[in-house]
Amino acid sequence: MSFEPITGRYLTVTIQGRRQRIYVETAGEGTPVLCLHTAGADTRQWRHILNDAGLTASHRFFAFDMPWHGKSLPPEGFQTEEYLLTTDAYMETVLAVAAALGLDRPILAGCSMGGRIALQLAALHADRFSGFIAIEASDFQPAWYDIDWFHRPDAHGGEMGAALVSANISPHAPDAERWNTLWMFMQSGPGVFRGDLSFYTRDDSLIGRLARIDTTRTPVHLLVGAYDLTCTPEDARRTAAAISGATCTVMEELGHFPMSEHPAAFRPFFAEALARMEVPADV
Amino acid sequence: MRATLATMQSRLNATPHLLRLGRLFSETVLLEVDGAEYYLTFRDGRLEQIAEGPSRKTPWRFALRTDAEALAQFWQPLPKPGFHDLFGLVKIGRGRIDGDILTLVKNLRFFKEFMALARPEPRTEDLA
Repeated sequence: MSFEPITGRYLTVTIQGRRQRIYVETAGEGTPVLCLHTAGADTRQWRHILNDAGLTASHRFFAFDMPWHGKSLPPEGFQTEEYLLTTDAYMETVLAVAAALGLDRPILAGCSMGGRIALQLAALHADRFSGFIAIEASDFQPAWYDIDWFHRPDAHGGEMGAALVSANISPHAPDAERWNTLWMFMQSGPGVFRGDLSFYTRDDSLIGRLARIDTTRTPVHLLVGAYDLTCTPEDARRTAAAISGATCTVMEELGHFPMSEHPAAFRPFFAEALARMEVPADV
Repeated sequence: MRATLATMQSRLNATPHLLRLGRLFSETVLLEVDGAEYYLTFRDGRLEQIAEGPSRKTPWRFALRTDAEALAQFWQPLPKPGFHDLFGLVKIGRGRIDGDILTLVKNLRFFKEFMALARPEPRTEDLA
């Protein structure tokens, strides 16, 4: 038998007064890194990083499924609710999971909406983290599509969502990982991608908060794929420029889901980003 | 362009998974390339007819308007950013989609993979 090094466990936290059973995967030893998945997907996006012996030798990675996503159930009573993620609920979720895991100022690495909330936390709760890796993340983009397309009784929201987000995957991505990435969207629960997009495409509160981020205490590094149509290199550069001291790297052959769609090409960029999180002790 | 569309038509007929994905797709799509109109009529996932315009009488469900140079880039094995997807063409100002977009979105994987059938040596699992 040859198990992968990833271990999956469950914990229950209270978020906005409601109990949420959260699925968490972990691997490695060393500096803690908390990883956030994109909208409409789950922790499986991070499995290549958590299985990377070179990275886990010095870092302990944690990745969790947001409520309603992956193996985290929706809260009790969900059946009559409209799922709409908010900035406050998202921040509280990340902080609650980090606290429940007993993490001491982890690095926060988030992709897409996970990158957006990482920057919100960099602005509002920087004391809880040691640095921020914001992947395919920007201040704000309104939707060019109708988010209601992805939750309707006459069509499969997951299949439509996957077909839409395929626009953001690089043609350099290996077929197997392209389709593994799309499968997560196909599996997303009814209305969940829509509810995530509500947060991602309607809440522009980060724009006015970027100037608060103090990169002398918590480094911020942005990574963006050249094939990302949702958060373009221009979007990421604009965002980085609004954060004093933030750095930004464009990944020429990657798209919106780099750790998932093309793990081998993403790995050196992520390793470099982790190295940038090491702040000198006298700062 | 006509020859390319005919190639795509025959490749579609030889691609079982696309015929399965498109089995409920029976619509006419307007493809406009440098102003030249091509009315693509699909029935049950097969491209039944390719009719050249101009026509003011042919109804269509949705339209993709672009230019030949952009399509040539889209059909490269490894297109440059923006040229790698139909919505990418729209994003970079080289394409426009009109009409019943919801019908396109409901059949998006099918239509994207159909449009990619002109790429050289297509791998059927790699055409999203």
